[in-house]
Amino acid sequence: MTVLDTRFAVLPGAIPPAIPPDERSVRFVGDVHSYWWLLIRGALLLLVTLGIYRFWLTTDIRRFLWSNTEVKRESLEYTGTASELFIGFLIAIAILIPLYVFFFIISLNLGVFGQVMSVIAFPVLAYLGHIAVYRARRYRLTRTVFRGVRFHQTGKAWLYAIYAVLWWTIIVLTIGLAYPFAQASLERYKMRNTFYGNLNGAFVASGFSLFWRGFPMWLLLMAPLAVAIVFPLMTVDWDAVRSVNYSGTSGEEIIKQMVSRFPELYAAVGMAIIGVTLFALLAIVLFPMFQAITLRWWASGLRFGEVTITCRLRIAQIYGAYMRFLGYTTLYSLAVAVVIAAVFFGFRAAIAAGPRSELAEFIVGAVSIMIYVVSMLGYSTIYQATAKLQIWIRGVESVALTNTAGLDLVTAEGSASSAVGEGLADALNVGSF
Amino acid sequence: MISGAGVYFDGKTSARHDVLIDAAPGALRVCALDGSVLAEWPYAELQGLSASADVLRLGRLNNPVLARVETRDPALAAEIDRLAVTLDRSGTAERRSRKKVVAWSVAAVVSLVLVGVFGVPALTERLAPLIPLSVEYRLGAAVDSQVRTMLDTSKRNGKSFECGAADDEKAGRLALEKLVGRLERAANLQIPLKTIVVRRDEANAVALPGGHIYLFKGLIDKSKSPDEVAAVLAHEVGHVAHRDGTRSILQAAGLSLLFGMLLGDFTGGGVVVIAARTVVQSAYSRDVEAAADSYALQIMAKIKGDPRALGTLLDRIAGAIEPGVKILLDHPETKARIAAINAAAPQITPQPLLEPDEWAALQRICG
Repeated sequence: MTVLDTRFAVLPGAIPPAIPPDERSVRFVGDVHSYWWLLIRGALLLLVTLGIYRFWLTTDIRRFLWSNTEVKRESLEYTGTASELFIGFLIAIAILIPLYVFFFIISLNLGVFGQVMSVIAFPVLAYLGHIAVYRARRYRLTRTVFRGVRFHQTGKAWLYAIYAVLWWTIIVLTIGLAYPFAQASLERYKMRNTFYGNLNGAFVASGFSLFWRGFPMWLLLMAPLAVAIVFPLMTVDWDAVRSVNYSGTSGEEIIKQMVSRFPELYAAVGMAIIGVTLFALLAIVLFPMFQAITLRWWASGLRFGEVTITCRLRIAQIYGAYMRFLGYTTLYSLAVAVVIAAVFFGFRAAIAAGPRSELAEFIVGAVSIMIYVVSMLGYSTIYQATAKLQIWIRGVESVALTNTAGLDLVTAEGSASSAVGEGLADALNVGSF
Repeated sequence: MISGAGVYFDGKTSARHDVLIDAAPGALRVCALDGSVLAEWPYAELQGLSASADVLRLGRLNNPVLARVETRDPALAAEIDRLAVTLDRSGTAERRSRKKVVAWSVAAVVSLVLVGVFGVPALTERLAPLIPLSVEYRLGAAVDSQVRTMLDTSKRNGKSFECGAADDEKAGRLALEKLVGRLERAANLQIPLKTIVVRRDEANAVALPGGHIYLFKGLIDKSKSPDEVAAVLAHEVGHVAHRDGTRSILQAAGLSLLFGMLLGDFTGGGVVVIAARTVVQSAYSRDVEAAADSYALQIMAKIKGDPRALGTLLDRIAGAIEPGVKILLDHPETKARIAAINAAAPQITPQPLLEPDEWAALQRICG
C-alpha cells in the first residue's frame, strides 16, 4: 500500500484533490483517528491539571501536524519541547504580573492619571500582544526543521508590533476595508524576515487582489448594517425624542410618550434589530468563504527564493470542514443537554428530600462549573479535530510547489530562539497553534 | 548485521543523500551508494525524532548541526530500536515523564487551591488593616458607583433610588440618623458611616468599603421593632469595623491573579475564573459573618438595645423566603446562626431605641 492509499483509507469521503497526485509536492499523511485520541486524552489531562498540561498538548499537536506534512516526500519536523513553552510562560508571567498589578491599582480610579492610564491600558496590551505574535512565530519557525535545516526569522518584534497596531487602527477606522492591505503589508514584513536556511522568503500577493475578491462580501455585509443605522436615523424625529420628559418617569411611560409623539418608533427599532440580525447571520454564513479566499491568496503569495507556491483551495472545501464541525457539535450538544437535565432533576429531587445546606449548594456550584468546563473542553476538542485539522489538511493538499530544485541546496543558517514570545502569547490569549 | 535503504541529511545543507544504513555492532553506519561512510553514530547517542508513523527519524545527541538519518524499512527500524537503549520508539520513557508532569501538575493545583482557600484569606486579613484609609475611601467610591448602577431601580419605577429625600420621608431620615448615630458612637469607628435606605424589596443590607451601608426597604418592611433594624445595622457596622469590604476586594484580586495565572488567562477574566472565585469565596464568608454577628451583639448591648433582635428578624426572614433564594447573601445557615446569636446574647434589660413616632416615621422612610 502506498502512502497515497493510506491517506484515502483514513479519510473516507475525502474530496478528491484538485491537483493530480503526481504533481502534488505537499501532502498530509496523518491518521485522523490518532489525532482525535491525542486531543481527547489531552483534554482530559487539561481538566485534571487545570490547564497546566496545555504546553504538552500544544507540543503534541504541533509534532503531529508537522511530522505528517510532507514536502517532496520528506516530512517536516517540530523540534520544540513542552518544557521550553512552560519556561517561556513563566518568564511571560514575570513580565505581566507587575503590569497586571499596576493596571489593577490604577483602575481604582486614582484621579486623572488613573483615567489616562486605563485608557492606554488597551493599546499597551494590544502592542504587547503583537510583539508576542511575532516572537512566537520566530519560536515556531526556529523549531521547524526540514531536511536537517531549520527555518528562522529576523526582523524586530517591537517594530512589527508598531506596524500591526497602526494597521489595525486603520482597519477599524475604514470598517475593515483596509484589511487586505494591512495583511499584505504585515505579511511582507514577516516573510522578508523569514528564512529557510539561507533561502530568503518573500510575500508577493498584492492587497488589491484580495480587496477586489473580498469587496462584494463586504458590501453584502454592510448593506443590512447600513439599513440598521441609517433607517432609524432618518425616521426618528429627534425633536420629539428631546421633548420627552425623562426625569422621574418609568421606562414604559417614556416609551408611551415617544410613541404618541412619533408613531414610527416601532418601525425604526424593528428595522435596526432586523438589520443587525441579518448582519450577524450573513457574517457567520460568509466567514468560511472569506477564510478560503484569504487562505488561498495568502498561500499563493508565499515565496522561498525561486520556489513559488500556488494554492488551489476551493471555497467548498472550507465549508465542508465547518459542516463536519457543525455535525459533531450538534451530537455533542445533545449529549451535554441530556447530562445537564439529568443532573438538574437529580439535584432537585435531592434538595427537595433533604434540608438545604451550604454543602449542597457548594456541590451544586462545583458541579455546574464542572459541566461548563467539560462542555467547553469538548467543543474546543471537536473544533480542533474537525474544522481546524480539515482546514490544515485541505490547505496543505491544495498547495503545489514549482521550481523546487532550489530546495535541494540550501545552506543551514540561524539558531533556535527562546519561547518567551509563546509564553506572552499564551498569557495574553493571542496564540493560534 | 541488518542493513537497509535510507536517507541522510548532513545538517549543513538540505541536500538529500540516498544511503545504505548498517546496523553495525557498536554504532550506526551511514554509507553513501559508492560505499564511503558519511556518518557513524554510536547507539548510545541516538535520538529518536518526531516523524510520520512509517518513518524512523534519528538525530545525534549534542550534535551542533541538525544531521538526520531516516529509514522507512520496518525491519531495520526494529533492529536499531533493539540496539539503541536510549531510543524510545514505543514511547515508554515519554509516557513515564508525562505521568510525572501530570502528577506534579495535580499537586500544584491542589496546593494552589489550598493557598486560595486558606492562604489568601489569611494574607488579606493581615493586609486589610494596613491599607490606608484614603485608599479605602477611593475603593469605596469606585465600588459604590458600581453597586448603585447594579441595584438602581429608579429607571424601572421612576422613583429615586435613595429613600428619605422627599418631604414626607424626611422624618424617617431623621429617625434613621438617630439610630445610626447611636451605633456609630458606640462603635467608635475610624471611618464615618454613610448609611442610606434604598428602594429595593429584598430583605437585605450590604456594607461596602469606605463605610457605605445600604439598607434595603424590604428589610425595614419585615422588621417589627427599631431593635431589629438596629441589629442589622450593627451587623453591617461590624463589617465596616473589620474592613471586610476591603478584605473581600483584596481576596477577589488575589484569587483572580492566582487562578488567572494557572489558567493562563490574565486579560479575559474568563467565566471559569469568576465561577471558581465565587465558590471559594462563599467558603470564606462563614467566619466573617459570624464575627460581624458577635460584633453586632456587643454594640447592641452597649446602646441598650435587644441583642436577640438580630435572631428574631433572621428567623422571620428565613421563614418567609421562597426556596432557592438566598437571603442575606452568603450568610451561614440561618438556624445554626440564630442559635449562636441567642447563646452569645448578653443578658441586659433593653431600653427603647426610638420613640414610637420615630419608629413609625422610619417605617415610612420610603413613602
